[in-house]
Order: sequence, then C-alpha cells, then structure tokens
Amino acid sequence: MSLVDRRKVLAGIGTATFIAASGAPGAMASTATAGNKLVVVFLRGAMDGLHVFPAYADPDFVRERQGLAMPGPGQAGGSLALDGFFGIDPLMPQLREMYVSREMLLVHAIASPYRSRSHFDAQHLLENGTTAPYGADTGWLNRALVGLPSRGRDIGVSVTSSMPVMMQGPAMVTNWSPSALPQPNAELLDRLGSLYETDIPLREALENAKAANAAVLERAGTGFPSLLRAAASFLNSATGPRVAFLELGGFDSHANQNAQLGALQRNLKAIDEGVAAFRKAMGAEWSRTAILFVTEFGRTVAMNGSNGTDHGTAGAAFLLGGAVNGGRVIADWPGLKPAQQLEGRDLKPTADLRALFKAVLRDHLGVPPERLEQDVFPSSNIARPFDSLFRRT
Amino acid sequence: MSLERAAIAANRFGFGATPGLLQKIKSDPRGWLLEQIARDVPVPPPIASLPPTGADHLAFPLVRRLALPREGYGTDEQRQPAMEPRMQGQQGAGMQGEAGQGLALIARMRTARMSAALAARFETAIQTASPFRERLVHFWSNHFVVSAAKATAFAMPASFERDVARKHVGHRFEAMLVASTKHPAMLFYLDNYLSIGPNSQWARDPSRVPVVSQGVGRPQGLNENLAREILELHTIGVNGGYTQADVTNFAKVITGWGYDLRQRRAGDLAAVARRSADDVFYFNAAAHEPGPQVVLGKTYAGDGVEKGLSVLRDLARLPQVAEFVARKLARHFIADEPPAAAVASLARAFRNSDGDLPSVYRALVEAPEAWDPSLRKTKRPEEFLVSTMRALGGPKLEGAHLLRLLQQMGQPAFSPSGPDGWPDNGAFWSGADALWKRIEWATLAAERQAPARPDPAALAVDVLGPLVSEKTLAEIRRAESPEQGLALFLVSPEFMRR
Repeated sequence: MSLVDRRKVLAGIGTATFIAASGAPGAMASTATAGNKLVVVFLRGAMDGLHVFPAYADPDFVRERQGLAMPGPGQAGGSLALDGFFGIDPLMPQLREMYVSREMLLVHAIASPYRSRSHFDAQHLLENGTTAPYGADTGWLNRALVGLPSRGRDIGVSVTSSMPVMMQGPAMVTNWSPSALPQPNAELLDRLGSLYETDIPLREALENAKAANAAVLERAGTGFPSLLRAAASFLNSATGPRVAFLELGGFDSHANQNAQLGALQRNLKAIDEGVAAFRKAMGAEWSRTAILFVTEFGRTVAMNGSNGTDHGTAGAAFLLGGAVNGGRVIADWPGLKPAQQLEGRDLKPTADLRALFKAVLRDHLGVPPERLEQDVFPSSNIARPFDSLFRRT
Repeated sequence: MSLERAAIAANRFGFGATPGLLQKIKSDPRGWLLEQIARDVPVPPPIASLPPTGADHLAFPLVRRLALPREGYGTDEQRQPAMEPRMQGQQGAGMQGEAGQGLALIARMRTARMSAALAARFETAIQTASPFRERLVHFWSNHFVVSAAKATAFAMPASFERDVARKHVGHRFEAMLVASTKHPAMLFYLDNYLSIGPNSQWARDPSRVPVVSQGVGRPQGLNENLAREILELHTIGVNGGYTQADVTNFAKVITGWGYDLRQRRAGDLAAVARRSADDVFYFNAAAHEPGPQVVLGKTYAGDGVEKGLSVLRDLARLPQVAEFVARKLARHFIADEPPAAAVASLARAFRNSDGDLPSVYRALVEAPEAWDPSLRKTKRPEEFLVSTMRALGGPKLEGAHLLRLLQQMGQPAFSPSGPDGWPDNGAFWSGADALWKRIEWATLAAERQAPARPDPAALAVDVLGPLVSEKTLAEIRRAESPEQGLALFLVSPEFMRR
C-alpha cells in the first residue's frame, strides 16, 4: 500500500491508530495474552453452514433442505453428532474429536452485517470490518494488531501469494507462499536494498520477504495442510509473527453439492487434515493457540434446481485450539420453517460475526475494548463480544 | 518529450518495449496506438491453432464421465479420441472404471490443454505488433470471465477468450455482452445450463428432463447465478440499482439458454468438435419460463431467445454501463484511483457512440491523464513476465513451465478465484511475496539471457527511455556482472510499474 493510501485510511479511521502506528504504546495489552497465537482462515465462496454443520434434529430440517439433507448420526452417510442437535460432516472426524475434547467451538446462524448476496462485496466488507463494502481499504485484522506486543519486526503473516484486504493496513505484516524458483543470492538482495532506498513500499516489501524466507526452513508444498504447517513454523519461530492468515477457496456450491469428489468434499477433508497437522506441528504452543474459520455468508436453506445451493445469508463459523473453551455450539437457532427463514430462502442470522471477532481479539490477543470499537470495527456497538470463548489461564 | 511518450505508449498501453521499439514509434506514439484499434484483424496464428470451441466444450462431459464413471454417459468413449488426438495414448487408462485413474487422467488433460493455451497466449503477447490491442483483449477477458478455478471448466477459458474478448474487442459493447452470455463456457461456468423455469414444460413434467450427471441428477429449477453476475459484474455494477426481484426475473428470462445436454444426438463427433460457439448455443424452449417478466422496470414479453437478447441490448445502453466500463478501463490503464476527468471522458465516448469500443479506446489514448509520466500501476505477474520476455528476447518457456511459474507468482493461468476476475490494484499485487517471486524470476531470466543482452544499462535505456531514473541506471552500471545488472533492471521500480 502506498503512503497516500495509508494516510487516507488513517484519516478515516481515527487518530488512535496513527499514534499507535508511529511508535507510542497502545493501551496496555494484558501480559497474559502476550504469548497467544491466532490463525484466521477465510473460506472464500460462501461455505454452506447447513451442509457442514447440519441441524439434523430440527424437525423441519429434512423437509426444508430437500434432497440435500444430510442423514443424522448413525445413519448411512450421516453426520457425526456434536451436541444432539447439530452434527458435523463425516469428512471431518478429527475436528469432531477436538469438539469432544473441548477444543472446538461452533457458532451457527451467524453472519456479517452484509445483507445482499454478492461474494465480492461480502468478502470485502467482512475483511474491511466496516458495514459497507469498500468502506475502508485496510482490514480489521491488521488494524487490531497495532500496538500489540510483537516478537520481531512483523506481528502478522499472510500465507498467501498476495496480500488480502483483511491483512492490509498500518501494522507490520508480511506475506509468504511456497516457491520452487531459484533463491536469489545475498549479493543481489543487498544491491536491491540500495536500489529501493527511496522507494518506501518496495523497501518494506523486500525487508518483509527476506524475514519471511528466513523463517521457513524447509521447502513447503502448496496444499492447504502444507500451508497450515508453514503457518505453524512461522508462529513457532522465536522472532516470528503471532498471527497468521490463510484462505481456502472453492465453497461456491451452486451445483452438485453432494458429489463424492466435489470441491466442497475436498475442502472439508483438507481442513480436517490441515488442522490435525497444524495441531501436531504447534506442539506445546497449541495450548496458547486458536484458529478461527469464517466465510462471507451462508447459502439458501433449500436446494436449488441443480442439486446445489444459491447465495444466502447466515452460516457457520468455528474456532479451534488449545486455548479455546470448546465442546459447545453457540446458536440462537432461528428455526427452518419457511416463515422463519430470511426472505423465505436463507438461514436467518441471529448472531453477528463482529461479536465473534471482537471476542477473539479482546480475550485471546488482548486488544483493548476501546480500540475494538474505534479503530477495528467502527459502528459495531450492536455487536457485543461473546463471553467465555477461551479457557481461563 | 516524444521519446517519453513513446515509452509510455509501449509500457503503459502495451506489454513493454522490445529493443528498438521506442525509436521506431517515437515520431508518432499516439498514432501507433490508434492504428492498433481497427475493427477486425485476423486471429493470431498461435491462437488460431488451439482446439475449436466445440472440442473444448466436449472436454467437460468427458471430465465428468471420468470423475464419476458410473453416471451413464458410457457409450462415447470409443469415439472420443477423434476430439482428443493428443489424449489417445492415455485414453485406455481412464476408461477402466476406477475414479482414481480417471482423476489422474483429468490432471494430465488439464495440464496439456492449459499449457497449450497459455503458451499460445504468451507467444501472441510477446510477438505481437499490436500490443495495445492485445492488452485490451486481456482486459476484456478479465471482465467477461470464465475461470478454470472451477475444476470442470478448465478447457473453456481459451476458446471463451477467443470467441468473446478477441472477436469483439473492436466492436460494440453489446456484441461482446451477447457473445459472452450465449457462450457455452459462460453458460456452463455460471450454471445457466442447469436453470429451468418454475412454470416451464420441463418443470411441469420433470421426467422429460435429462439426467446431467449422477451428482447433479435432473436439474429442477431456477439457478440465478449468471443473471446476477451479468448485472453485478458485466454491465451496471453492484451499485447499478437492481433488486433481488430483478435478478430472479432476469434469470427467468434466460432460462433455456444453454447447450444441448444430449450431445450424442449429433452422430458425427468429429464434426461436433469443430463447431463454433454459435453452433453450440442451444435455446431449449421446454426449460424456458413462459410469460412476461419485469427487469429493471421494463416488461419483456415473448417466449423465445429474443426476450433475453432484448434485455441484454437494453442493459448495454444504460448509462451505468458507460460509467462502469469507463472507470474499469481507466483504472486498468491509468491509475488504481483513476482521474475523474479521464473517467468522464471515456464514459462520454461510450454513450455518444452507443458503446462503440474503438471510440472509447480513442478517448483513452486522447486523455491527457493517460500520459502522465508518473508510474502509478503495478504490473500483474502475467504482464510482468511478458514484458521481461519482450525486453530480454526470452527465455522461451514451455507452457507447462509457464503454468507453474504463474501459479508461484500468485496469478494461476486462466484461474482467477471468481467471476470478478483478477484484482486491478497495486496493493494486491505488491506484497512481500509478490516481490520475492519477481526477484527469483529475475535471477533465473537474467542467467539465461545475459549472453543475448550483455549490456543491461543500454537495454534499460532502450526499453524504458526517459522513464528509467539515473539512480536505477547507476545501480545497474555498478553491478558485478551482466546477470546481476539484468536482474536489477527487471526488478527496478520503473520496470515493475507502468
């Protein structure tokens, strides 16, 4: 981002960010959270919450869901039970184990403040943290990191080949993705440092890239589980970032949603394998770690004409980790009868994703509540943070 | 001054200069751009040698058969090699009924087809004498998008680009909009081929609806995906003033727009494989929602394909479209936040010419803001690679290598994540990882091409003209070897931006 952009954002969001970014300490973060680590995974394309976490015990589920209703626990192809009302797709047995061991928490019927049905606007709004698509050109996750204790030059890393909106902003963050190209030699890098002397964006990008490539020792693969393992190596590095961002696309299941080898199924397996691999790679640090999975909106309750679902509103978000007070489903369930659906088609939202984000930032990363309201999620008073999502340490 | 304008013409409007180009065009850089926007030109040979639309279109039912071998298409396999000559040797393995082998075959087919298409795209962009026109083709195929990120669509983006963006780049916007909407690739990518009117003949008698595949089964109702994206992404934009009812009604208007689900109907598959996009398009009256529909306040009557064409024609003329297209073009060529005067001038040209695209390009070339020497755009990875190959005369890479390279650099070929195409802003493309991959690429390219380009500083002056700074030239001259000097040139701020 250019300096001009940055100034504009700062002017829009308020002066507190500027003070923190220019070096003055932000409001004191609790030392109890200073070693905590967070991963945010954006599931792009609108994951169908009613597919991945079916409300099998809702009396209207099978009728309203039509041919896409996943059978309940114990039946052929059925979901695995979570709390007696909600299940989880059987392709995610390791997540279900983490639920049983109280390391996973599900929030259902949750949505961002966005109420139209464009992926792109919805993703931008979810990432920028305002109530409008393009309402800011920085991301809430980046803004939240301003002023928090950092172990090295970068407090966050995006494990993506380009910088997503959610991670753009004033806090020092970098990005990284696996490479099979030849490594540049140190002499060339030194000369580039000189060439970029007066070009601040390029100079910063070069420094970030050098730091990131020093942190990941082995050559990594490109699948989602490999990327999560790479995230673990960043988070486990003594001077590395504390926050990582990843994304996984391919959730836009307009057609043939129940295919055996479909994009949705491959993604769910990748999440299950990835989280298990990440948990193992984090070792003892798992107890101070949380991974949050979010998507831009849910999908229609009923099947469309192509054995798929169209763009909807509320969906599901889930939080995992040794730090999470899990084994619970948080849902103020709206019901699935036609009159209970939003506009007669979508799962009705009864929770605000910002309430979840604010709880994670406040209780896990120690972001001061006033910063959450002013800089991170402006105009979000109605979304009061959830309580008790994390274990007391 | 004229050399600076020549450098801007070659770098900002084109794919970067080849050695000698600036000297050649410096007497009239503007004229050089304007002569590239003729109405029709022959299809460049590398593109013309790619498989015809019919063959691309036949590749995805094949994919489904292989992925889901039990779905009952099973009788065409023996004839399939007629369309897939390069696949003949592998055909047997995928047909033994094992899904795993089928997937492996699909992966090989995907690589073969996409590498051929990508190699042709690169060869054309590197060799072209009309780089501005070629950039415009790429611009439009990032506006009307069919993405191979939808796995079964992998065969389609190349023929879609040829039939829509390349064919109509010198025509009226309406022609391109209609070509996109009727193209089998778009009808597949955004699911319209599955959309059935709730009161259509097929909805009243579902037993007549063919089974598309084991997974999809028989399509049963409306699918609004294409209608929504036409409004949001192709024409008036998300703030263009449409409602959910407009989306639903427009979706009903274009029910029946698809292609024949029972392709075997045509006996001679080799002939089917030669079909053009227009030949493949098929209006299925039995799936069409009968009766008038209201879209954006206007009632459309009639029960044929003409009803949908009327909506598209009216959409193409809305003032929001002129504004939407003008802003997007100005953003692509001038700056991430395009100057308002330039946007207004392009929009005016669009409106006054009834969407005649060459008139809009002329307004772009004539906008004073487009000639500002400050470099405000970051090249996207594909552009960056093409411009390095033009400047260095290589290295010439095979398609499969280009595929891997673009994947690494964050712009996997033909595969933007959604129908909105690749982002067009510097913040997205200039993160640390993007820079690192460019440095790695520059290292590799410089090693290969240093023998052909022994004087990097002279090359920098040749292709960037007055746009290259004294500081950059000094750093290049101080390099310890031609390889290092070339690498510094390729990742200099002036070469990575335009």
